[in-house]
Amino acid sequence: MRRTPRFNINGILVNAAALVLVLSYALPYVYLLMTSIKPAADVQQIPPSFLPAVVSLENFREVLQSSALPKAFASSLAVAVLTTVLSLAVAVPAAYVATQYRRKITTLFLLFALVTRMVPSVSLGMPLFQLLKSLGLLDTIPGLVLAHTSTAVPLALLLMSAFFEGVPKELEEAARMDGCTRFQAFRKIILPVMIGGIAVTALFTFITSWNEFLYALLLTSEATKTAPIVIAEYNSVYGLAWGAMTAAAVLYSLPVIVVTLALQKQIVGGLTFGAVKG
Amino acid sequence: MSGEDRFVLCMLAPALAILGLLVAYPVGLLVFDSFFKVDTITPHIREWVGLKNYIDALTSKRVAESGLRTIQYSVFALFFEFTFGFCAALLFSALPGRSRWHRTVFTLPLMVPPIVAGLLWRFLLVGNIGILNYGLVQLGIIRDPDAIAWLSDEDIVIYSVSFADIWLTTSFVALVSYAGLTNIPKDLLEAARIDGANAFKRFWHVTLPLMRPVIAVIVIVRAVDAAKTFDLIWIQTQGGPNHASEVFSMNIYQRMVRFGDLGEASASGTLFLIVMMLLAAAAYWKIWRPAHA
Repeated sequence: MRRTPRFNINGILVNAAALVLVLSYALPYVYLLMTSIKPAADVQQIPPSFLPAVVSLENFREVLQSSALPKAFASSLAVAVLTTVLSLAVAVPAAYVATQYRRKITTLFLLFALVTRMVPSVSLGMPLFQLLKSLGLLDTIPGLVLAHTSTAVPLALLLMSAFFEGVPKELEEAARMDGCTRFQAFRKIILPVMIGGIAVTALFTFITSWNEFLYALLLTSEATKTAPIVIAEYNSVYGLAWGAMTAAAVLYSLPVIVVTLALQKQIVGGLTFGAVKG
Repeated sequence: MSGEDRFVLCMLAPALAILGLLVAYPVGLLVFDSFFKVDTITPHIREWVGLKNYIDALTSKRVAESGLRTIQYSVFALFFEFTFGFCAALLFSALPGRSRWHRTVFTLPLMVPPIVAGLLWRFLLVGNIGILNYGLVQLGIIRDPDAIAWLSDEDIVIYSVSFADIWLTTSFVALVSYAGLTNIPKDLLEAARIDGANAFKRFWHVTLPLMRPVIAVIVIVRAVDAAKTFDLIWIQTQGGPNHASEVFSMNIYQRMVRFGDLGEASASGTLFLIVMMLLAAAAYWKIWRPAHA
């Protein structure tokens, strides 16, 4: 798939410009990686240096030996997995009927999901705080899962609807001819075809929950702090521990980045799907 | 009710129940609370105050300032994200070979958690050890590394904290724009070229009009997200120094958590919600629809 240059600029020049752009774009994150492997004392040296003079895993040892961060990672993982499972369980069937059985209620429903995406977390956070408090779910994993689900369900609905748009109605009709009920057709014929789309949606839902900060700040305290909260606290509790903070930030962000790069094609497809079709 | 209708309802019901419990009911409760004097710690004790919370919020200087800052932040961030991202997309699509490798690197910040992006940029900008100023000294742009106090100068901090946002989301703009550009039929551009249109004219009269719906979606999505920003700024400055980077969402958070005034925070939260809806609706009607006409 060779592309012809759209502008009459020398190809080498365009390539060089793209290279400089891309490298400078990656530079800040590379600096984070470099800082995390410096000895703690070197992190705050004046003037700062980009590359570590000595490579040391001191910062990583410190954050992993502290009790707070490993526990926070466990909470973050549990919340993100449960949010993903719950959101997909309700959003996938709903997105299917919303796109394949169009009627007034399904159109209204999708519109409602779209509008929900505009609601600021801080607005929804206050009543969610009261709701969880009255249910006795403040500072618990199920409580935070419910809060994250309020964001994740609309996201999953919109992504899955975009994927279901591509499924021909004939697929279900053929299955019904063979004696399947509507539900069997959905479960046995449609779902297996959609596994790719479901996987991308699951990944997005997971990352949304994994990265979420404000609900975790409002709705949890000692028992179920998630990773971003603990990382933010390196600020106040331990003074300005930049070394530990960068190591924790790397541990928190690198797994997601590696998965993203591995599945880059599918993710970019999922992300640009709805927007470009608009 | 036909069997088909029953099936549709059964499939829809769980999602309806979840959105009802976790979105519709809370929004109702938010609006309800906004008419009461109610404390965050004891939300069951409430006293009807009518529109007082709204009047207080709309006449408060600090609220107005935080609203203005939200606009400054969003416009500044959106302008640079869009310019950088769109130019990067044009550059990628102009690459003689494939731009797959470039786009892979560009995907990277897309998945960086906002809290990490905020932390990282704070580390780049912070006084004494921020490497950015040392870089600017080396390039001869500033005289000494203390010349610009990015995060502690009240006049510029609201723009400084948006660097992290710009870095984080330029890639979203670039990738969505790139996907849009590749959807433009090549024969259209070729036909324009044969008709004697130069590169600029082809861009202005062919590419840009066809990209209009994609641009509309990018602007709506990013403007709404930028206006809602909380975590990215919180980790850099916590709204300081002296509230100079306190945006609207942070102002609401502070009044709920620090001052415990749930009623007034709810009134602001309701206003925030309404503004976001209006913004999205206006953008939808003004920018998006004409492209389909």
